Amino acid sequence: MNIRLDNLTVNFDDRFQLEEVNWQLDDSQHWVVTGANGSGKSALAAVLASAGENLSGSIDGIPAKVGLVSFEAQAELIEAELKKDDADIMDVIAEGTPVHEILNPGDSNQQLIDELVEKFQLQALVNRAFRKLSTGESRKVMLIRALASEPDLLVLDEPFDGLDAHTLEMLQAYLATLVEMVPMVMVLNRFDEFPDFITHIAYVDNGRLQHRIDRNDTKAYNELYQLLHLKTTDLAVPAADPETAIPKLDPTQPLVKLNSVNITYDGHRIIDSLDWTIERNQHWQLSGPNGSGKTGLLSLITGDHPQCYVNDIFVFGFQRGSGESIWQIKQFIGYVSTALQWEYKVGTGLRNVIISGFYDSIGLYTKATDRQKKIADEWLALLGMSDRADTPFNKLSYGDQRLLLIARAMVKHPPLLILDEPCLGLDDMNRQLVLALIEKICAGSETSVLYVNHHPEDQIKGIENYLALEKREPDNS
Amino acid sequence: MPNNYFNTLPLREQLEQLAKCRFMDISEFPDGVEALKGKKIVVIGCGAQGLAQGMNLRDSGCDVSYTLRAAAIAEKRQSWKSATENGFVVGTYEELIPTADVVLNLTPDKQHTPVVTAVMPLMKQGACLSYSHGFNIVEEGMKIREDLTVIMVAPKCPGSEVRNEYVRGFGVPTLIAVHEDNDPQGEGLALAKAYAVGTGGHKAGVLMSSFIAEVKSDLMGEQTILCGMLQTGSLLCFDKMVEEGIDAGYASKLIQFGWETVTEALKYGGVTNMLDRLSNPAKIKAFDLSEELKLIMRPLYNKHQDDIINGTFSRTMMADWANDDVNLLGWRAETAETAFEKTPAGDVEISEQEYFDNGILMVAMVKAGVELAFETMTAAGIIADSAYYESLHETPLIANTIARKKLYEMNATISDTAEYGCYLYNHACLPLLADFMKDIKTDVIGKGLDLEDTGVDNARLIEVNAALRAHPVEAIGTTLRGHMADMKKIV
Repeated sequence: MNIRLDNLTVNFDDRFQLEEVNWQLDDSQHWVVTGANGSGKSALAAVLASAGENLSGSIDGIPAKVGLVSFEAQAELIEAELKKDDADIMDVIAEGTPVHEILNPGDSNQQLIDELVEKFQLQALVNRAFRKLSTGESRKVMLIRALASEPDLLVLDEPFDGLDAHTLEMLQAYLATLVEMVPMVMVLNRFDEFPDFITHIAYVDNGRLQHRIDRNDTKAYNELYQLLHLKTTDLAVPAADPETAIPKLDPTQPLVKLNSVNITYDGHRIIDSLDWTIERNQHWQLSGPNGSGKTGLLSLITGDHPQCYVNDIFVFGFQRGSGESIWQIKQFIGYVSTALQWEYKVGTGLRNVIISGFYDSIGLYTKATDRQKKIADEWLALLGMSDRADTPFNKLSYGDQRLLLIARAMVKHPPLLILDEPCLGLDDMNRQLVLALIEKICAGSETSVLYVNHHPEDQIKGIENYLALEKREPDNS
Repeated sequence: MPNNYFNTLPLREQLEQLAKCRFMDISEFPDGVEALKGKKIVVIGCGAQGLAQGMNLRDSGCDVSYTLRAAAIAEKRQSWKSATENGFVVGTYEELIPTADVVLNLTPDKQHTPVVTAVMPLMKQGACLSYSHGFNIVEEGMKIREDLTVIMVAPKCPGSEVRNEYVRGFGVPTLIAVHEDNDPQGEGLALAKAYAVGTGGHKAGVLMSSFIAEVKSDLMGEQTILCGMLQTGSLLCFDKMVEEGIDAGYASKLIQFGWETVTEALKYGGVTNMLDRLSNPAKIKAFDLSEELKLIMRPLYNKHQDDIINGTFSRTMMADWANDDVNLLGWRAETAETAFEKTPAGDVEISEQEYFDNGILMVAMVKAGVELAFETMTAAGIIADSAYYESLHETPLIANTIARKKLYEMNATISDTAEYGCYLYNHACLPLLADFMKDIKTDVIGKGLDLEDTGVDNARLIEVNAALRAHPVEAIGTTLRGHMADMKKIV
């Protein structure tokens, strides 16, 4: 068996579409298909059992006998049984098809069925009508039916869902005995349920097959774990620390108001007479080519640019240059950029890196309170890094560092979160991780996001204001 | 002819001033920069230190501008550019000094007399003049107008670090002092504390000292152990290794990075820890060598301290200033021509431990220099806290500069005053150690001890360990490193 999907687009009753899938499976491999709810992982598995309508591309090598277990298949069978009932014209009480007939549609190995019935402890139910079974029982029937059909390919969509611990263990052990005989594709979204014999993992997001990972690639495997964790766990963004709460802002004033600002280097004007107001709860995207002054403009807001003192800048209730300190400004801002990551060359442990966000410092120079530690631990849990709380920051992968710095920026729930090209330098997987985290943040808080990028594919939901800078050619002004 | 201020004081007061040095607790800075709020600060000079301090103060909410000599402004020199591009108001002395409540003199030592002479008549009644080194007041005897407050705020790091640490949300250790003859309104300490907060120093630790203690201990430390001993040691160890047939590239690397490596151990756990990094036989060897070195060099350390205390050093150096720096420039050129300086570090791997094992003599030199400087300073009346900072504490910082670009970098980074003193020390110390070096072989510099048996005599080891730990620099070091650890990064 060698199944090959080339650029395959499949439509499912106009409800859902799988897009441009490229995938190859051979018979020595056992795959897990995973992804968030609604990502299309079940649809992808079902395609292997010939579900859906191919719109374009091709699929080759599907074997004759595919054993499929899924909620959809189970629901279909139950619906069919109920229809039989309706169609019954005889005036007798219909019992429906007994379980033993469902188990063996005709040519299955009866001896194997009996063995499995015993293993699943269904002996008492074989003569009962299939439609009278509970969901868990009918699931077991589906499993036995698929296994006993001696298929060339076994497709199991969430086979462990709803099974009691004993049955789950038995099934896992049983499947392990089949690895030499039949290739398996399982849809699972809990990493701890992945059986040991799984050799590859497919990750589906938004109807697309995004990643195909060899299980032996530890790095990719761990990153996928984190991504799935962020996408599938229902954790809320941890609360702010009431003891170090940010002062209340006057709700009638904008967060930021730049009045005809300029930035000049060596007589060359990079930013020329720019006006920009960021109101509360507005999300902004700032874009522009390299050298157009994006970062310079941001640092006028954060107070990191020395020319903020020669411009008309109002930020968080302060007219700049009126005796305020940069720490009074920075307390309202969460900030992430590649430059910050380069600056953050410290051996500080991960928990303390997050806590340093309360103090806007690089490194931590103050003793943290217990509550701050607790909040930091909640963030680590959200990121799937709980087991690394004391790992030095500089020992982290580049992508993980970025995630951690976003958590650091958000830990105090700032009114303004500035993300200066947060995906820069990240590979595809880490990019998705970062975007998933940012979406999680945007959805759940009153923070205005100011997002800088120039990749149209890195869109963040909910941004409705745009400022595009243009590069100014050197002039004589 | 200038009048040495220290020499005009009675002994009682000299001793009292020398003994001033206290590590302040962060709880002593509850008012932040309040004392500077609403005051106009004008910085004279915009070099690395001037720019960094000005930027920090401005970011702390202070009103900062820069004044430069008219020529620097007219010719748009680097200092003018630095200040202007960073959005500061820049003006001449005449334009800005009369408006200033606080004037920060951040020009090099050598320019203090002309600069202060020029600005003093322009200063407002009751304003404050701040220094970052007390040489002008203490050694040159500059008399400041009676209505002016005179303070010192000296971050103990180069300008770039002063700025970087502030931006990170931290700071660098800072020494503050008030010139008691010039504190007419009793506000000197409040201003100095606010200034230290404004540059971020309070987060990293502030030492309250006196102008006199700062000058006399600073000069002693930099001439002897910090720069002098490292320069002399570099030259002697390199020549010896080459003479004994060790590859010059290896010798060059062992020295260039060896000082940094062995003094890193010093930073963490004092002289004791530095020697604990050696094997038992090597430790005893280093101890014996250092005892011998101390015996030979003690008169030299005493001479340096005496010349500093009685003003001979500053008088001879100022004579060279007046003579267009002929000596300084000549000695600088001479250093550039030494074999060590001209031999690049070889492309060889040297492990961290190997720097200790093959550099026993270097360890002995550091130990002898630190202990002698400390002993000499405290014998002269300088309090142990000051003596510790100006000897042991700063040695690793100077060793870092040698690791970067050898003696050239060290002498370029330190002040002209330190550089001048370093050459004086080197010229006296090289011949002083000539006989001692004759008996030195590669077992203590270059190759390490070649022993079949690393056993040692118990009684002798106990004696050596006890002597190491009993030295007074170790007692004060343990206490001060404890304070610093509380303040330092929680990592």
